Amino acid sequence: MRARVTAAFAVGAFALSAVLAGITYFTARQSFLNERQTAIQRQAFVNALLVRNSLQASGTQVNQLVDLIDTLPGSVVNWNGQWYATSISVGQSAIPAQEQALVLGGTPATQRFSLDGSVQVVVGVPLPAVHSAYFDVVSLQELAGTLRALAFALAAAALVTTVAGAAVGRWASGRALRPLAGITNAAVAIAGGQLDTRVEAGEDVDLQKLAAAFNRMAGNLQARIEREARFTSDVSHELRSPLTTLSASIGVLEGHRDELDPRAQRALSLLDGDLLRFKRMVDDLLEISRFDAGSAELSIDEVDPGELVRQAVMTTSPIGEDGNRIEPVFPVEVAPGVEGLRLRVDKRRFERVMANLVDNASSYAGGVSRVVVDREPPGTGSAARSIRVIVEDHGPGVQAADRAHLFERFYRGTRSGQRASGEGTGLGLSLVTEHVRLHGGTVRIEDAEGGGARFIVELPLAEPETDGPEVLL
Amino acid sequence: MSRILVVEDDERIRLSMRLALEDEGYTVDDVASGEEAVAHFADEPPELVLIDLMLPGMDGFETCRALRKQSTVPVIMVTARSDTHDVVAGLEAGADDYVTKPFVAKELAARIRALLRRSRPTETDATVLTFGDVELEPDAGVVRRGGEEVHCTRTEFRLLCELALNAGKVLSREQLLERVWGYDYFGDGRLVDVHVRRLRIKVEPDPGNPQFILTVRGMGYKLAV
Repeated sequence: MRARVTAAFAVGAFALSAVLAGITYFTARQSFLNERQTAIQRQAFVNALLVRNSLQASGTQVNQLVDLIDTLPGSVVNWNGQWYATSISVGQSAIPAQEQALVLGGTPATQRFSLDGSVQVVVGVPLPAVHSAYFDVVSLQELAGTLRALAFALAAAALVTTVAGAAVGRWASGRALRPLAGITNAAVAIAGGQLDTRVEAGEDVDLQKLAAAFNRMAGNLQARIEREARFTSDVSHELRSPLTTLSASIGVLEGHRDELDPRAQRALSLLDGDLLRFKRMVDDLLEISRFDAGSAELSIDEVDPGELVRQAVMTTSPIGEDGNRIEPVFPVEVAPGVEGLRLRVDKRRFERVMANLVDNASSYAGGVSRVVVDREPPGTGSAARSIRVIVEDHGPGVQAADRAHLFERFYRGTRSGQRASGEGTGLGLSLVTEHVRLHGGTVRIEDAEGGGARFIVELPLAEPETDGPEVLL
Repeated sequence: MSRILVVEDDERIRLSMRLALEDEGYTVDDVASGEEAVAHFADEPPELVLIDLMLPGMDGFETCRALRKQSTVPVIMVTARSDTHDVVAGLEAGADDYVTKPFVAKELAARIRALLRRSRPTETDATVLTFGDVELEPDAGVVRRGGEEVHCTRTEFRLLCELALNAGKVLSREQLLERVWGYDYFGDGRLVDVHVRRLRIKVEPDPGNPQFILTVRGMGYKLAV
C-alpha cells in the first residue's frame, strides 16, 4: 500500500509540475517571441524610412544606396526590380517566396523561416513611392538558445518536483502506517499467546476507532480463552472429590481382596485399573488447562543431569514383589562430559516428561531400547549450551508426515490397531511439549539408527549465576 | 492404637477416609469443620490430624494455626491443588507434610506411619549439641534456647537434628527429604524450604539474616559450626 501511495504522490507531483512547466514555457516563449518580433519590426520600419528618404532625394545612385544598406546589416532592398543586399549569404534567395510575393505586391509582411538550420525572421516593407521594397532579415538564434535553456531548467524542476513528491509520499504513508505497525505487532503477540496485549489509542482520531475495536476484540478473546481454561480446571477439580472417595474406598476393598470370590476380585482389578486411568486423565487435564490459562509455574532445582535422568527412569519402573523398583531392562547411558554439569530444572515436570516418553514407547513401540544423556553441541565441555535426553524405542519409527501431529492433543495416529491396555490419555506428548517449552527447551523426533523412533529433549543449561557455590546469608 | 482426627467437610470423602484408616488399624475421629476440630482437640487429643484445606468457615490454614498455638501434634494437610501457593501456605501454617486429592490410601497410610515414627534420628550417640544459645538433645527430643524449651513439631526437630549432626556439612534438599520425610528423589523441595524458614524463626536471633542455618545456593543447607 505504501508503494501505491508513493507512486500516486509521484504521479501527482509529476503531472502538476509538468503542467506548470509547460504553461510557463509556452507563455514565456510566446511572450519573448512577440516582444522580439515587435522590436525587429519597429527597427525594420525605421530602416525602411531611411531607405525611402534616401531614394526620394533625386538622383540617388546605386552606390549611394549600397553604402546606405551597408550600414544596415541584414537588409535586402528591391529597387526598380533590382535586388541589393548587405551580405552575400542573406540575399534575395534567402527570403521565402511567399514573403517576396506579398511585399512586392504591396502588403507589408513578417515571416519566420529557417535558413541553414537557424531560425530567422524577415520583415518586409513595401515602398511604392520609390518603386522599392525593404526587407530586414534577423536571426532569432540567440532567443532560441535562451528558450532552450528555459525549457531545460523547467524540465529539471519538474523532475526534482516529481522525486520530491515521491519522497513526501513515502514519508507520509510511512507516518500514516506506523500506528498500523503497532496494531500488527499487537496481533502477532496475541497470536503467540500474550493475551493481555493491548494497543494504545494515540492522538489520531481515525486510528482511535481502530485501536478501540482491536482492544475490545482482544479483551473478548482473552476472556473467552480464560473462561475455557477455567472451565476445564474447575471441572477437573470438581472431579477430584468423587475420585478421592472412590480411591479411598477401592483401597479398602483391595485390603480385603482375599475375602472376595474370584469374579469379584477380577471386578476389583478392573476398578483399580480404570480408577488409575481416570486419575491420570484428570491430572493431565488440569495440567493442560494450567498451561492454557498461562498460569503454569516452574519450581526450579539445580541438579546433576545424569542423576536426574537415572532417577526419573527408575520412577517409571513398576514396583516388584519385594517392594523395590524393578531395574529397567534398557540402559541409561550418560555421556562423560555430562557429569559435573548443573541443570536448572523443575524436577516434577521432568519426571512427567520421562514418564510420558517411556509410557509412550511401552504402549506403542514395544518399549524403550535405550536412554542417552549428552551435551549439545557435543564435545564442548563447559561451553555446552544444553543437555539432551534421548529416548529410543523398539518400534517401527514414525513417518515424517506423522511427526508434527504426534505432539497434538488427543492424536492417536495411524497406528490405532496397536492399542495397549492401560493406555495413556492422548495428552501425554502434548504435555511433554508444554513442560519442555516452559523450560525454554525443545522436543523433536527423529529416526534411531537401527530402526525405531528417537525422541530428543533439549534443555538449556543456564549460565551459572556465580562462579561456584557460595554461602548466602 | 493411634488416634487420628480427620477434618473434612465432604461427607463421602470423610467416610471413605475413616474406612481406609480404620482398615489400617487406626482409631478415627472425624469432624466436618475447623471449629469442630478445635473443640474436639481439647477433649480427645489425637496423635495425628488430617486437615482438608477447603473447609467452610474456618479454612484449613486457620484450623492448623489454631491447633499449632496449643500443640505440636503431627499435621498432614490434604490439598486439592499442588500449586505453590496452597502448599507453601499450608506448610507455613504449621503442617508437617501434605497429600493431594485424590490420594492413594496406601500412600496416605505410609505418610502417616512415617510421621508417627518420626521423632528421633536413627543413629546418634551425641547427647547434647549446641550452637549459639541453642541446646539440642536428640535422644530426649528437646530443644532449648537460652535455657527455655522451644516447642518444635517432630518434623522441625528431626530436621534440626539432621543439620546439627552434620554441622559444617552441606545437606542437599534430596538428602533432607529422604532422611526426614522419607521421600525419594522427586519429593517436594518446598517441604524442606518452608521448614527451614520455620526453624529459623524459632532459633535464629534474626531470622531474616540467619547465622546458623545457612542456605548454600545451588546445593542445599548447612548448620554453621
